[in-house]
Amino acid sequence: MLTAKRMTVEDLASAYRVMMLSRRFDEWLGELNHRGTPVPHYHSGVGQEALMVAAVTPLRRTDQMIYTHRGYGHLLAKGISLREIALDLFMKAGGTNHGLGGVMHVNRPDLGVPGREGVFGGRFAIAAGLALAAKLDGRDEVTVCFYGEAAGARGNLYEALNMVVLWNLPVIYVAENNGWSFSSRTEWLYPEGRMSRVWRGFEIPVEVIDGNDAEEVFATVSRAVARARAGEGPSVIEALTYRLEPHIWRDKAAYQPPDEIASWRRRDPIARAARRLLELGMNQNEIDSIACWAEDEVERTIAAVEAAPDATWEDGRHQMEV
Amino acid sequence: MTSTRLTGREALNRVLASELAVNRRAVVMGETVRLAGSSGVLHGLYDRFGPSQVIETPVSENGIFGAALGLALAGFRPIVEIYSADFLLVVANEIIGDMCKWRQQQARPGPMPIVIRGCMGPNAKGGLGPEHSQSMEPYFHHAPGLVIVTPGTPRDMAGLLRASLRSPDPVLFFEHRRVYDLADEIPDDESFIIELGRAEVVREGKDVTLVAWGWMRSEAEIASSVLDAEGISVELIDPRTIAPMDHEAIRRSVARTAQLVVAEEAPRTGGVGAEVLARAVESAARPIRVARVSMPDAIHPYSASMERLFIPNANTIADAVRRLVSSARSAPPVLAR
Ligand SMILES: Cc1ncc(C[n+]2csc(CCOP(=O)(O)OP(=O)(O)O)c2C)c(N)n1
Repeated sequence: MLTAKRMTVEDLASAYRVMMLSRRFDEWLGELNHRGTPVPHYHSGVGQEALMVAAVTPLRRTDQMIYTHRGYGHLLAKGISLREIALDLFMKAGGTNHGLGGVMHVNRPDLGVPGREGVFGGRFAIAAGLALAAKLDGRDEVTVCFYGEAAGARGNLYEALNMVVLWNLPVIYVAENNGWSFSSRTEWLYPEGRMSRVWRGFEIPVEVIDGNDAEEVFATVSRAVARARAGEGPSVIEALTYRLEPHIWRDKAAYQPPDEIASWRRRDPIARAARRLLELGMNQNEIDSIACWAEDEVERTIAAVEAAPDATWEDGRHQMEV
Repeated sequence: MTSTRLTGREALNRVLASELAVNRRAVVMGETVRLAGSSGVLHGLYDRFGPSQVIETPVSENGIFGAALGLALAGFRPIVEIYSADFLLVVANEIIGDMCKWRQQQARPGPMPIVIRGCMGPNAKGGLGPEHSQSMEPYFHHAPGLVIVTPGTPRDMAGLLRASLRSPDPVLFFEHRRVYDLADEIPDDESFIIELGRAEVVREGKDVTLVAWGWMRSEAEIASSVLDAEGISVELIDPRTIAPMDHEAIRRSVARTAQLVVAEEAPRTGGVGAEVLARAVESAARPIRVARVSMPDAIHPYSASMERLFIPNANTIADAVRRLVSSARSAPPVLAR
């Protein structure tokens, strides 16, 4: 058993910066949406920042990452700039896909982000293929594949699972158990509300962790990554977290009980990481300055993105021709 | 230039072997590929190239096709065998939803070099049943972004497979079970290639244009000879690829004959033939007369003798041409059966 790599205070602080940036961006978009400007394809990641970010920070630039539709933390943590994400989100020229895919298809192959499929289920095998490529090439890269309740309920999962175990591929599947799949509770979709049970039939590590604890997420993913890099094969992590905001821009989420939301707000991963930073010796001023930095960063980025020209079909086609 | 007489199966095997030999990142994957694949095309490849280039998979089509996409994204050239083309419906989303759309949605213009190949259609005995006999090209020709290849001869199998292995776009390569057993002189030259999207004028003629591909090309050749003896001169065109379809070659021929018959093995409604006729009518400078020969809108009967009544053949094709040529100008287009 490989020993868990612990986060240093610097590791946690840098993850905290990304978590905060993700949070502030989400809040800004939520606000915009609230004021009546629909933000297409916006799926708030509020509440899931520890999971999104701390599961990506153990990766190298060349490791592959398949992200979900929810939140921007995975992308930011893998090194994609807020500016690129925002340009894609608002279908502006520039960005990573010039209006051809929007925020649902942000990609930077050079950073190990090949893109995303929108019909849930395909990702398990796509990740297997990316991992197989590394193995055939003899590279020690790993692939991390995040997935939600919807994708995880597709039969595709089983096919990929059997293949990655059979071929001992360097892949880590990270289940984002956030309590809901649109308006359906996870408990209505999986026995006892656990997404990772199906993996237990294979003798690979399957861990259920607190997805709001950045340190635990980091340590668990680091262990799985080390294992995969060492040629010891796939593993699975089910991270328990909670979707604090509605599913999508036009959802009012009246089905989410307010007291349930309130109880999860008390377990907010960002406040929790801030408390840990204090314990680890960072002072409150430094922590507060991260929040200010994130606020500024979002404000400046948004202003620049608003001023950018809209993407056009011609622009997109031109990108496809070069 | 030297050539060797090969069956369709052997011709395909040779092209695949030469690709695997020159490209370490070309991988064949699919069910039973370690032995020879579902129709014997892959014979000997595992022994020669080993498990890192000939990857035996479980019967997990979604898994295989998704993994092929992942491999392609990582710079590999996956060559995926589907056990029978019918089963592509299982992975319609991996093909149409993911492989075709990936590059545009991520705005990445690089190649998506996936070749999907497998056997299709009834064999000579027939009776494989409706789940192993369908012509699949109509289901997929509606999807933008796919290349669809339907070789009608072993020579075309070789030349078009080599072109498919150079294609930057995902390719569906449909190997008709009856074409496997034909034999042809195939150039030994490893650069022998037939460009995708170019029709072949199989036979020149002046009275009527006949379009047929896959196994129907062979039936249409017989029909053309019979008609020729009766004094009807047929220009037979094999488009060879369904996408891109060489509508221009058909237009040029129809500009002279003003009569067009399409023979296709699939059911009529929404078929490839419908599109060929529509384009020909749209692009013709003067009125033309058109007809289709196809399978009726029905499910393949399981029994071989019943099935034979459904699939177009040289006789039904010749009948359709005769009716078109002899009927009065005011008559509606001839519909076979
Ligand atoms: C195959 C397929 N079915 C349905 C959908 C529609 N869909 C979009 S989002 C969503 C719910 C997603 O829930 P979950 O996976 O739990 O992720 P979360 O939104 O909670 O992060 C669904 C069903 C889809 N994209 N693909």
